[in-house]
Formats: sequence, C-alpha cells, structure tokens
Amino acid sequence: MSLADESGPAVAAAIPRARAWVERVGSIRSVAFAVVLGIVVLALPALVSTFWLQIATSVAIYSIVALGLALLIGRVGLISLNQIALLAVGGWIALRLGFGTSLPYPLLLLATGVITGVIGTLIGLPALRLSGLYLALITLMAAAAITLALQATNFPNGGSGFLGYSGTAAGSVAASLRRPALLESNTAFYLGVVGVTALMFLLAALHVWGKAGRAWAAIRQSQPAAIAAGVNVTLYKLWAFALASFMTGIAGGLLASSAGGLTTYGFPTQDSITLLAVVLMGGIYSFWGPIVAALLLKLLPELLKNWGLPPDLLTILFGIGVLQVMLTAPAGLVVQVPRDFANLGRMVARRFSGAAEQAE
Amino acid sequence: MPDLRPYLVLGLALGGVFALSGVGMVVLYRATGVLNLAYGAVGAIGALIAWSLINTLLLPEWVAYLVAILFGGVVTLVYGTLFGPPLAQREPLVKAVGTLGFALILLGTMSWVWSYQAHSLILPTTQVGFQMGQVRVNLTQMIGLGLGIAITAATAAFLRFTRLGVAMRSLANHRETTAMLGVPVRRVEAAAWLTSGLLSGATGLLLSTLVGLDIVGLTFLVIAALSAALIGRLQSLWATMVAGLAIGVVQACLTPFDAISPYRTMTPFLFAIAALLWFGIAGRGLSRA
Amino acid sequence: MIEIADLTVRFGGVTPLDGMSVTFPEGTCGLIGPNGAGKTTFFNVLSGFVSPAAGRVRAFGVDLLAMAHFRRARWGLRRTFQTEQAIEALSVYDNVALVHEHSRGTRATRRRDVLDAIEFVGLEVDPHERVATLGGRDRRLVEVARALVGAPRVVLLDEPAAGLPEEETQHLGRVIRRIPEHTGALVVLVDHDMSLVSACCQITAVLDFGKLIAAGPTAEVLRDEHVIRAYLGTEEQL
Repeated sequence: MSLADESGPAVAAAIPRARAWVERVGSIRSVAFAVVLGIVVLALPALVSTFWLQIATSVAIYSIVALGLALLIGRVGLISLNQIALLAVGGWIALRLGFGTSLPYPLLLLATGVITGVIGTLIGLPALRLSGLYLALITLMAAAAITLALQATNFPNGGSGFLGYSGTAAGSVAASLRRPALLESNTAFYLGVVGVTALMFLLAALHVWGKAGRAWAAIRQSQPAAIAAGVNVTLYKLWAFALASFMTGIAGGLLASSAGGLTTYGFPTQDSITLLAVVLMGGIYSFWGPIVAALLLKLLPELLKNWGLPPDLLTILFGIGVLQVMLTAPAGLVVQVPRDFANLGRMVARRFSGAAEQAE
Repeated sequence: MPDLRPYLVLGLALGGVFALSGVGMVVLYRATGVLNLAYGAVGAIGALIAWSLINTLLLPEWVAYLVAILFGGVVTLVYGTLFGPPLAQREPLVKAVGTLGFALILLGTMSWVWSYQAHSLILPTTQVGFQMGQVRVNLTQMIGLGLGIAITAATAAFLRFTRLGVAMRSLANHRETTAMLGVPVRRVEAAAWLTSGLLSGATGLLLSTLVGLDIVGLTFLVIAALSAALIGRLQSLWATMVAGLAIGVVQACLTPFDAISPYRTMTPFLFAIAALLWFGIAGRGLSRA
Repeated sequence: MIEIADLTVRFGGVTPLDGMSVTFPEGTCGLIGPNGAGKTTFFNVLSGFVSPAAGRVRAFGVDLLAMAHFRRARWGLRRTFQTEQAIEALSVYDNVALVHEHSRGTRATRRRDVLDAIEFVGLEVDPHERVATLGGRDRRLVEVARALVGAPRVVLLDEPAAGLPEEETQHLGRVIRRIPEHTGALVVLVDHDMSLVSACCQITAVLDFGKLIAAGPTAEVLRDEHVIRAYLGTEEQL
C-alpha cells in the first residue's frame, strides 16, 4: 500500500473540515484581506505621524466597544444604548484602580473589565426578561444618568477619597492612567492596543463559533425554539450583556492610558447613540463591521476637520445611515419572535371572544 | 431641613412638562407603535429657531413661538409620513431606533447651525406671577403644570369619546383590521404625528424657560418623559402623568441637598429601574412592546 | 408513559383545554382534532410556554410541570413547531448540535450523534450547509433530527407534514415510525393528515373544543362517530 492510499481517507476527511473552516472565516479573499490589513496595521507607526498614530490607537480602542455592541445586536438581537457611558465607567474604574492600587497593567485591565461587566449586567438585568424595547430605553436612561453623574464625580486624578478626584490638583495631575514601562512610547502603546484588540476579537469569535453563538442564534430567531432546545435564554442574554460590558471596560482602561487621559466631557450621551449608528452602518453580522464603525466614529471626524468641514455633518450623516439601515435591513435585523406567552394567551382569547381591549 | 417650597413649585412645573411629554409619547406609541425618541430634539430645534427669529431677525416674540410650535408639528409630521409607512410592520424596537436616526439628524443640524454656545429664551409669561407666602410662582410654571394635567385629561377624553380618538385606540391594537373597516389609517396616523410634533414644539419652549436653552439638556429631557411613559407601561395616561409629576418634584426637591444634588438628574433613571424591577417581580405583562 | 390528569388552561374568557385526562402509553401516539381544539395549547403546556389553571402531567414518573421550561429539554423533552423553527443562521450540523449540547448528551459522542440523527431522518445535504438555504421539506427534517439527539424521552411533533406533498409525507411517516425503537422515546404526533396518523400511531386521542372526546386504538377512533361529527361540525346522525 502506498502512502497516498493510507493518507487518502484522512485527507478526504480533512478537506470538508478545512473548507468549512475557510467558509466560516468567509472565503479565501477575506483571509487574504485580513492578512493585508494585518500588515498595514503593524507597519502604521513607520508610515504616519504621531497625531495620526494616536487616531489609529483610538480607532482600535473604539473598535472593541463597537465589537461588543455588534455582538449584542447582530448575534443576540439586543440593543444597548449605554455602551459609551460604560466606556466612561470602565475608564473611571481603571483610573481608580491605577491610583489606588499597584496592580500590574494586564491585571488592572482585567479587573476593570470584570467590574464593568458586572455593572453593565446589573443595569440591563431588570429589562432582560422584558422586551427589547425596554432594554433599549433603560440603557438610554442609564447613559444619560451616568453622563450626568460623571460631571459631578469627575475622573480620578490621584486625589483622596472614594472618588479620587482633587479639584485643586486638576491641571497638574491629569486623569490619566500610567502605562506599563513596556508600552511607554506611542508606537509601543499602539502595538499593545492592537494586540489587546486582536485578543478581544478572538474572544468574540470563540463565543460566536461555539456554544454561546449557537444559543444566541436560536434566541435571536425564536425564543420558544431556543427554550425548546434547552437553552437557558435569560442566562445567555445576561452572558452576552456581560461580555459586551467586559470588553467595553477593557477598552475604557486602554483609553485611560491613551494620550490626554479622560475628560468628563468626552463621553456625552449623544455618543452612545452615534455609536449605535456607526455599528449599524458598519454591519452587525461580520467581524469587519466594528472596524468600519470605529473608522467612521474616530477617523472620519478628523479627516473632515483636516479638510475644513464641520464634523456636525457626520452626525447628520449617521442619522440618515440609521434610517437607511432600518429601512433596508431584512426583516431579521433584530428578530425576536415576540413570544410573551401571557400576551399570546390574551391574543387567543381576544380572537375567540372578541372581547374589547381595556385601553384608555 | 431646607425650605423646599420654591423647589416644589419648580418641580411641579417641570413635572407637568414631563407629564405632558410622556402622555404625548404614549398616545403616539399607541396609535403608531412608534416611541418617538426625537421628541426632545424637535423641541430643542424649535426653541432655537424661535431664539433666532427673535434675536437675529428681530421678529415679534409671539410669531417666533408660533413658528417654533408649528415647525415642531411639521417636521415630526414629515418624519412620520416618510418613515412611518415603510416601518409600519416592523417591531416597536426598530421603529424607535428609526427615531434615534431622526434625533441624530436634528442634533447634527443644531450643533452645525447654532453650535453649543449658550442661548437664552425666556417666555414672557415668566414675568407674570404671584406670591404664595414666601414663594413666587410665575405663569410659565403654572402653564407647565396646568398643561400637563389638562392635556392628560383632554387626551383621555379625546381617545374615549371622539371618533378620531377611538380610531387611534383601534389602530393601537389592530392596524390591519382597522384599515379593513374603512378607517383612513394614514390620516389618523398623520393626526397623531402632527399632534405629537406640536406638543414637542410647545414643551421645547416651556423647558427652555424652565431649565435653559441648551441643545443637549433639552434633547435628553426626553428621558424623563420616557421614564414616566415606561412607568405607565406605555399604556396608562394617568399613570404616566402622575409619574411625570413625581419625577419632576423629586428631582427638583433634591436640589438643596448638597450631597446628592449633583446626582439628582439620575432621578428618571432610578424611577424607571424601580418600576422595571416592580414589573418583573409583580410579573405583569407589558403593553405591545 | 405520559399521564395527563384534568389538565385545564384558561385565558381570559376562553378555555382552550378543559379537564383533559389521557394516558399515552408508549411508542407513537396520535393527537388529533379540528382547528382550535387545543392540540398546540397542550404542547405549549408540556413545553412550559403556558401555565395550566389545573391538572397534572407525569411523564416517565416525573412531574413535568414542576420543571423550569428550559430544563425540560435537558430532561428529554423535544418539540417541533407548527411553523418550523429550524435556526436559519446556523448550519444543519449546528442546529442539531445546539440541542445536543443542552441535553444529557456528552461531548465525546456529539459529532457521531449529530451525524447519525441527520442520516436517520434521511437528510441528504451537507451538514455545514446553512439552514437558510434549505427548502421547507429539508427544514422540517432538520427539526425532526434535532428531536432525536441527546437521549430524548418525549418527542412532540406539531403538524410536521403540514404543507408537504404526498411523497415527503410518506417519507416522514417512515421516519416517525422508527423513532421509538431508535431512541426509546415516546412520540406524540399532532397532524391533520389521517393517513399519516394511521400509519404511525397505535393509539390516538381526539380533542374538540379543549375536551377529550375519544381515545384508543387509532383505527377505532377514526371510525368513531363523535370524532367524525367533530370534524364535520354537524349535529346530524351519521
């Protein structure tokens, strides 16, 4: 028997597996594109000035935030309108930990992520059993509440007390998280951020292609079908929320270490809505979407300023973008078969007895 | 214990406006399935237009206010006409996100044309008022509270007793059936949109006077209205009104307490979370959402 | 065996199920009745989507109603829906694996079990094909395949043949008949196609306006004049 005969069945089995893997990653072209992008990203420090490198760092950080939101909307069908507020919360926690403890940087980021994850989940918890609309509303309200509270608490800047903010120190000590020695320079920090971003995307991919992704896909299409398949719907929704908040928290930590630190006016309520817009426009089903979203959010305004155009035009553009996506998205954009079973019963009852609705 | 009375007055006025806005949102939601999150933004842009007409074009105040209110009505009607029908069959969440797009367009326009600098718009009714013991109550505040209660009562009556109102209630539950019964669905919806817009314009003017003409502040005061509407389970007008008044009063009365005062703007959110927890525990179903 | 005792469901002024008491012993059992008779409501009670006002359900010695709805699948309850609910965004393989990984099936045998189930129902597509690209017949087979993995105990099939042409219905019948012996599960089949019900079910129960009006060997039940009258909706003697 020749080597070819022996390896034949193994190869024959491997080919469909390999093809399935490539299909998952989305065709050879997509893989090639990813490789090219990787090269460009890594070579960037050598190609652009410090200013644009900082923009690129910002794009990478915000793509993590966009990734979390895209997962929530695209995979689970949940809409959260407070991701930017959570970003601020993450930044705040990172700063507080940074000034108050001597945790090594990676651990600090992780702790920030976990705490932010818990906070984000707690905010969404009351609404998770209710419809998607209530979740969107409560997160919108949370975003406004957090933004306003932030103006009162400010970001920690080394001051004393729980808030860690010292008014007198402001201006001399910025609300900025010290970087680890390894990532001190702009280029090193940029590469570090890109590394963390890649890790976050990997984390997302592991979820989407694994057990969680399957459960989420079922929940998104039909909660009864998911329940009938044994999926603990509430748990998986909570997990998605926790994951998105965790990622956003880590992004907050990175942002706190980026140039200029954090300012209280850097996280307006409006930005959470703008984030939703760019995530929708970038596309919620693919892994490229969040990157496009971050480019729209962080790169485009700078380009416009460079060309002497008002960035407010972008806000208008994003508003139009949202409407366009809502109009053209297939019916399955945020598909949740509204199976509130008590309501189902009432619907049946009404059909049978023609009873009048108890409206105002 | 500081003297809460002036704050109570402001709170009732503010709460009245919240109630008014909340009721407007609930009615539009019941008639069209759309929760208009751009409600505040429409009010803001109306107020800014009024400001420009008064200060730049030097038009008489009453003309400016009329234009503001009408503008609110028209721009909301345009949105409803363009984006209502194509999204009519979609779920409420999708429709609400659409209004977020509308809000962004308005916000972008406002920051572009007027920028974020401070403007001031005080309704002349503020000059008129009376003394109630130690506290001064002005006409704007009375209008705020009065309109809140009056509009709630009028709307409740309208929905129950007039043909158009009954048509709107019917739309809330069975759009297709209603259409088949010969009710001019588009026209009823247009009426709902127009009214919602006129209310936006009016509340924008009132709020500019009560809390200041600030793009962000006015736009996101919709959150207090949303909270009230949510507490009313997007259904009960009276519950929405009471909730709106409560939110306004609590938020205003927290002002003199220095320790919590900076956080008092979280009141709508806290009320809403408490309500959602209560709904979850009490296991009540929520309307059509 | 499943024992249902006095099962009653009320919504507002309507009683979709009224004091239903029946025992499904083993194998494949039919549940038929005119539209609106309460068959899907019954399934919804078993699935945990609807809470009964009264009554008990004991399946294989276990009080089913006491379990949280998503846990029933882990216990062994499987369900297909009137409007098929194969998950479009997932592949055929993932659809079946989804059920397997939330059941008592183990990871070690997962791949084998999933592929076996796909083969058992006669689905001849690439398992990595997304369900969104499949037609109605194949989607229904995916749903049935999902019902077979992870040690099912009770399989509820809600009008699996609805809208299928004769040949597909017969194929489905052959598959359904073999389920009890292949998995050890008890199958309850709801359908309007009487030839399918006759071919698959030894015992059949009949619901009309929420009440049980007949139960017994399928052939006898189908000849019962009360049953015929319920379907034809006439008061006349036949």
